[in-house]
This record gives sequence, structure tokens and C-alpha cells, in this order.
Amino acid sequence: MSDAPAVEAALTARDLRDGAAAPVPDRLFRLGAATVALSLVLMVVGPWITPYDVGRPTDDIAVPPPSLAEVPGLLWAVLTGRPHEPVYWFGTDASGLDIFSRVLAAPRADVAIAVGANLVSLALGSLLGLLAGTARPWLAGLVMRLSDLVQAFPVFITGMILVTLAGRSPTTIVLTLALLYTPIYIRLTRAEVLTQRGRGFVDASRALGKREAWIALRHVLPNALVPAMIQASVTVGFAILMTAGLSFVGAGVRPPTPEWGLMIAAGADGIVQGEWWPSLFPGLAISITVFGYAAFGNGLERRHAR
Amino acid sequence: MIGFVSRRLATALVQLVGLALVVFFAIRLLPADPVARLVGLNASRDAYLTAQRSLGLDRPVAEQFGSYLGVLPGSSGLLQGDFGRSWVTGDPVAQEIGRVLPITLELITVSFVLAFLVSVPLGMICAIRPGGAADRATFAYSLFAGSQPEFWWGLLFIFVFFAELGWAPAPLGRLDPMSTPPAVVTGFITVDSLLAGNMAAFRDGVHHLMLPVLTKVFVLSGPIVKMVRQNMVRVMASDYVLFAQASGLTPGRIARIALKNALAPALTLLGVLYGYILGGAVLIETVFSLGGIGSYAVRSVLAFDYPAIQAVVLVIAAVSLLVYLVLDLLHAALDPRLVG
Repeated sequence: MSDAPAVEAALTARDLRDGAAAPVPDRLFRLGAATVALSLVLMVVGPWITPYDVGRPTDDIAVPPPSLAEVPGLLWAVLTGRPHEPVYWFGTDASGLDIFSRVLAAPRADVAIAVGANLVSLALGSLLGLLAGTARPWLAGLVMRLSDLVQAFPVFITGMILVTLAGRSPTTIVLTLALLYTPIYIRLTRAEVLTQRGRGFVDASRALGKREAWIALRHVLPNALVPAMIQASVTVGFAILMTAGLSFVGAGVRPPTPEWGLMIAAGADGIVQGEWWPSLFPGLAISITVFGYAAFGNGLERRHAR
Repeated sequence: MIGFVSRRLATALVQLVGLALVVFFAIRLLPADPVARLVGLNASRDAYLTAQRSLGLDRPVAEQFGSYLGVLPGSSGLLQGDFGRSWVTGDPVAQEIGRVLPITLELITVSFVLAFLVSVPLGMICAIRPGGAADRATFAYSLFAGSQPEFWWGLLFIFVFFAELGWAPAPLGRLDPMSTPPAVVTGFITVDSLLAGNMAAFRDGVHHLMLPVLTKVFVLSGPIVKMVRQNMVRVMASDYVLFAQASGLTPGRIARIALKNALAPALTLLGVLYGYILGGAVLIETVFSLGGIGSYAVRSVLAFDYPAIQAVVLVIAAVSLLVYLVLDLLHAALDPRLVG
């Protein structure tokens, strides 16, 4: 896991500043947008459209997935009517759970946690960033020092500690990630607020006699939010990696929740014996999803810089 | 320069004190019961109280904090360089961390240097013609590599290179159980085995590092390529590069001149990155059972071993700050404007 959201954020801020933006091909950007959309749809409907119950084991233990040659025939059988025997697209795991169903249901955990954490930290971070960009120096300094302090913590280990000691529920993961990511948004928003404050429309409002707080919220904040929202797409990806990583080491959501990191961990022992499928498919899901969010975010950044 | 260094050291020290304070109180504010975790849920009330007393958790929090810092009479704490004893093993935490930290530092540093060596040429290829085909392809790679779950790639590599091809050793630690580890001097297996002249242990150590390093280099190359590319593009657009081009210097020479100026600002970000990677070593160590500070952190956190948890956070933050400081100084040496 390249858990370097702060480095990413620093690069994004700089890209936006001088337009040396990422060369994301349009096709990649559209692919990313589609992945993001799909992940959000699955977050909502995933658990409802699974072919098998995600919590009830089937009678078939550790069945490998069908070979690629069999897929078209099976697809036809499933689409036209009843197949003769149960079909497990991604195979079943060591306890007989259908992997395809669990991969489909997992965004309800991974994506929801990541999006939730980023909504909280985006809201909190942009308000604090606005404060740090407009308030009196001592208050602004306090906000920035506190955010420095949070950023001095090693992200993954701090996440492990807070989540485990607070009881390993999805809510504690959301709050923990939100805390760890808030400084990124504070920094981005503050930098943008500082440039927006010198713009003509701000002077104009001031000349009209509007109050400073009103100007900040009505005029500065909406314009200053753009980089933070672009960053959010990339950071949601990192949050998915972290959510999965936490449960992979046993410090995230609890089994038997369908969750990609837990599924990889459950299949890890089988890998050495050649049972590759229980870990492969959930990992592929993470790999594609997070790449999608990164491509979407970097593409947005480029469009904005243009 | 001395003023610059001492200012930076002072800031780092203040941050560490803040960290020590926050960690100590944060883990005590969270709704976890370490005593129940240690004695088990079915323990009698007497056993529970005895354990609580032996851990010192029956004392007021302020007193616990005083003895943790080492300011109470007769106590030894952080000020004396004492992290306390592990609640699980009973051994001094400082000693345990001294054993596991080098394993992680070795893995991370080797991976970091290799990733840097791989990424600089890639980033430079991007910057020669920004927006060109090579730039787009390399950038897509760096985007991909930077957004991958490293623990899953580690498992894939184990499947391919150990289970299928048999080129790599079993992912069960830093050395083969049959080989004799070299005497501990630095704690880095590769360095120690060379110092001892034990070539068998050296080969074995490198062999076991192969896959974890491959995994780390792959995921690390993502952000580093992006970083190098960005700085390089900026430098290549500057006036002195235009001047060099107008003077008829070859593209190779210009790239060399530009590289130095492009890498200087990248150093600061590399420092930040190193800290992140150090803290994130947990995952790769879990996959390969390496037993570094990441594995130690997992063990301590899951066992609610507060002294060990506090020490892990402080040590990792301290090492990160130190690396950051060193790279910052290097940056200042390359770019004297920063010191002023």
C-alpha cells in the first residue's frame, strides 16, 4: 500500500498551482470515472444482488473458479435458464462461501467507509482550513500546529491503534480515517483561501461593506473547495487501501463481514499451497477500484488545471 | 547553518513531546480495557484487581503519566530513555524495539534506494516530452503502481515465485530456520553477515529480502516517478534550460544539469514518504512474517500492550523526523537559498 496521501496532496496542490498537471489520457479518465460510478452503485446495491447468501456457506468447499474456456458456456446456461449445477464464478473459499457474492457485497464496507471518512474530513478540513486562512494569526497558527501534530503520527499504525482500542466497528474506522485525513484538507483549503482572498470579487464584497465571516463563507470557501474536492477522489482510493489493510492485519472490521481485506487475509494461507483464487479476486477488486479513483482524481486535476 | 539545524531539531523535539503526550492520553481515553484483555473475561475480581495493580493502572492517570515520563522520584521513564516493560512479555520495550527496528529499516531503506534508482530515469523519460506517448504510458504506470494494495501483490509474488516457480524461499521470516544468523552488530542481517564474513547467511538474507523488496519497489515507484516527473517538467521549462538548449548543449548534458535542480525539492517529499513507508511496513511484514517493528506493532496493538504501543509510535515518529531532517539538510546544502 502506498499510503502516502500527504505526498499525493502536496503534489496535487503544486500541480494545480503551476499547471504541470498529470498527463492522464482521456480514455483512462473515463475508465476511472466508470469505476468510481460502479463502486458507488455497488456500495448501495451490492449486498442485494449477490447470487448466494454472503454469510451462509455452500456445500462446496474450496472449489476453484471455472476455467476461461468454460465461462461462455456457463454464462449462456445461467442467462437462458437453470444451470445444471451451481456456478461459482470466482470459486468458493475454504469455508465454502461464494467468493463472487462476497466481492460484490464488499463495497458496502470498503467504499462506504472510505467515502464516509472523506466526507467527514472534507467538511471538517475545509472549515478549519478556512479558519486557518482568515482568522487571527494566533488562532490560525493553532489550527496549523494541531494539524502538524496529527500529521506527525505514523498513519497506518495510528489507524491500527485507534480502531482496535475503540472497538473495530465501521464507525470507528470512519472516524479514525477522518481524523488522519483532515490535515490534508486543512492544508489544501488554507492554501487556496490565501490566494482567493486577494481576488477582485473579495475586495468588491468588502467595499460593499459585507462582514468578513460572510465573505469567507459565501465567496472564498466555494472557490477554495475545488482542489479539496479533486483531492477527495484520490484520497477515497487511499482510504479503501487503508480500510482493507487494517482488516488484513486484524485491526479493521470483524469477520465474517464481506470485506476485501478480510477475504485476502482468509485466503493468504491457501496461496502457499497453490489455492490462489480466494485472495486473487478481492485483491483484483481493490486494485481496479483504487486505480480507478486515482485515474479519476488525477484526470479531474488535469481538467481543472487546463 | 547551525541556526537552521538547531531550529529544525527544536521543532522535531517539540513534536515528539506532543506525540508522547497525545499517545499516552489518547489510548487511555479510548474505551478499551487492557486489564480484561490480559487476564481474560472469566477472571475473578481478585485476579483482575491484582493485574490492575501490577500494571500500575490503579493509580491516578496523572501519576501514571509522571512515571511514564520519569519525573516522579524513583521512577525511570522517557527522560531516562526508558520505555517501560511490555505488559505481555515483561521485557524492557526498548530492548525489544532495538531487536525489531533494524529488520524494518533494512527492508525499507533497501527498497527506498532501489525504488529511487528505478524511478528517476522513468520520471526523466516523462519530462523530456511532457504529454508525449512515453510520458502518458509512464504516468499511467506510476498511477497504477501508486494505487496498489501491496499486501496483495506480496501474496501474488509468493504464489508465482515461491509456490509455482520455487525461486523464492518460503515467506516465513528473515532467514532460513536452518541457517545460523550472524552475530548482531548493527541488526541488519545483510551488513552483519558481511561483517562476520558469513557468505551463506548473506546470500540467505538477500534471498529472503528479494520478494518483500520487489513488492515495495513496485508500489513505491508510483509516487516517486510522479514526484521526479513533476519537478523535472518544471525545471525543463525554466529559462536556464532554454539557455542551455540555445547554447547547443546535448539533451543528455541538459538532462544532467536539470536533474540536480529537479531532485533537490524532491528530497523533502521523499522524507515525508519515508516516514509513511516506515509506518506502513506493517502490511509487508505481515505477509512475509518478517518480524520487524510493523509485526511488533500489530502484536502490541492486538494485545493492548500500552507501553509497547506508546514506544512504537514514538520510535517511528522519531526515525521519520530524523530522516526528514537529514533530507532537509541535504536539500539546504543543494539549495543554499533555504538556509537564509
